[in-house]
Amino acid sequence: MKKRAVFIAIPLLILAMVLAGCPGGKATGTLEFYANGEGFVRQGFVSKDGWSIQFDHVYITLDGIAAYQTDPPYDPQTGGGISGKDTVGLDGTYTIDLAEGDADAEPLLVGSVSDVPVGHYNALAFNMARAESGPAAGYSLVMIGTAEKGGQIVEFNINVEEECQYQCGEYVGDERKGIVPENGTADLEMTFHFDHIFGSGDLPMDDELNLGAIGFEPFAGGAQAEDVLDMSGMHLGHVGEGHCHCGCQ
Amino acid sequence: MPKKWKAIAVVIGVLALSLLLPAPALAHGVNIQYSSDVEIKIVAKYDSGEPMAGAQVAVYAPDDPSTPWLTGVCDDEGRFSFTPDTSIPGTWDVQVRLAGHGGMIHIPVGGSTAASGGIGGASYLQIGLMAACVIWGSIGTALYFRRRRPA
Repeated sequence: MKKRAVFIAIPLLILAMVLAGCPGGKATGTLEFYANGEGFVRQGFVSKDGWSIQFDHVYITLDGIAAYQTDPPYDPQTGGGISGKDTVGLDGTYTIDLAEGDADAEPLLVGSVSDVPVGHYNALAFNMARAESGPAAGYSLVMIGTAEKGGQIVEFNINVEEECQYQCGEYVGDERKGIVPENGTADLEMTFHFDHIFGSGDLPMDDELNLGAIGFEPFAGGAQAEDVLDMSGMHLGHVGEGHCHCGCQ
Repeated sequence: MPKKWKAIAVVIGVLALSLLLPAPALAHGVNIQYSSDVEIKIVAKYDSGEPMAGAQVAVYAPDDPSTPWLTGVCDDEGRFSFTPDTSIPGTWDVQVRLAGHGGMIHIPVGGSTAASGGIGGASYLQIGLMAACVIWGSIGTALYFRRRRPA
């Protein structure tokens, strides 16, 4: 009896000492991922070549979504892979209609991950991938809408097959994002700047954005995306106003 | 077992259980710090080389990454300067935004400041004494339970 007590008490005592020296369980929270086509998609805009574009649907298919806590912070200008001390992956493939909702609708929730380590997720990776099913099957990006210029109206359905990988730094915007508090929720946003494809009539023609955009005129003439559009040069994906390193094929 | 040995064993056991309670790590290190005020100057330009004149600037200190420590505007040459609080060492983040484009730069501040506080300040002698106390506590409890059976 006494020997049994010894064999029980000593391990319990050692366990108590070990636990006293150990830190508590890791603090966790929830991280949400959003997609946003901004006012360009929801409200429409005028392209660099004067076409007034309104979108009915903008289907974009995303996968490989992952957020990272990086130190030193990831620099998208230099490219390369992202490595962080904590990584949160949003599993699955998601086809999002960026035009969903009215003109003032909020960004669209793609998904969320619970029980993620607290801290600042200051880097984000995501892919634009070909959808296997649904309204965008076979394409990574489908833009459906109407463009008008000088009384001429063109109904368009632009399908992009190219797949792109985006590796982005920290979100840049009105507020800082990605800072997960204990038992709280933070969010990150994949932002898509469609003025990079069509340009902007609000800017001078020699503005750097317009110089890189192809405008809408080629599509009004019946061109297909694969003939005129090189997604790697469009830099469609952003994190708010923050930049991403992009590769497309 | 004599009552005094029983009492000693109980005391040792209570002391060992008290290790479950969280307590700050204490040490008797020496804390020496110095600081120097350094003005940080940034120049923000687009890829084309055009200065981001009038760009909005938000400076975040490492101790509060959510709330801007300072906000301001770049001048016509895209320049902005500030003096960080060197009592808050770490990476200071500066966000610059204009016309739908923006970026973030990360600036280390206070890297030459000596570490303060007691983390890692315990000497080998102190660590040895603490280990000896824990070990003796275990032995004492074991002896209590292993007292001789009466003849």
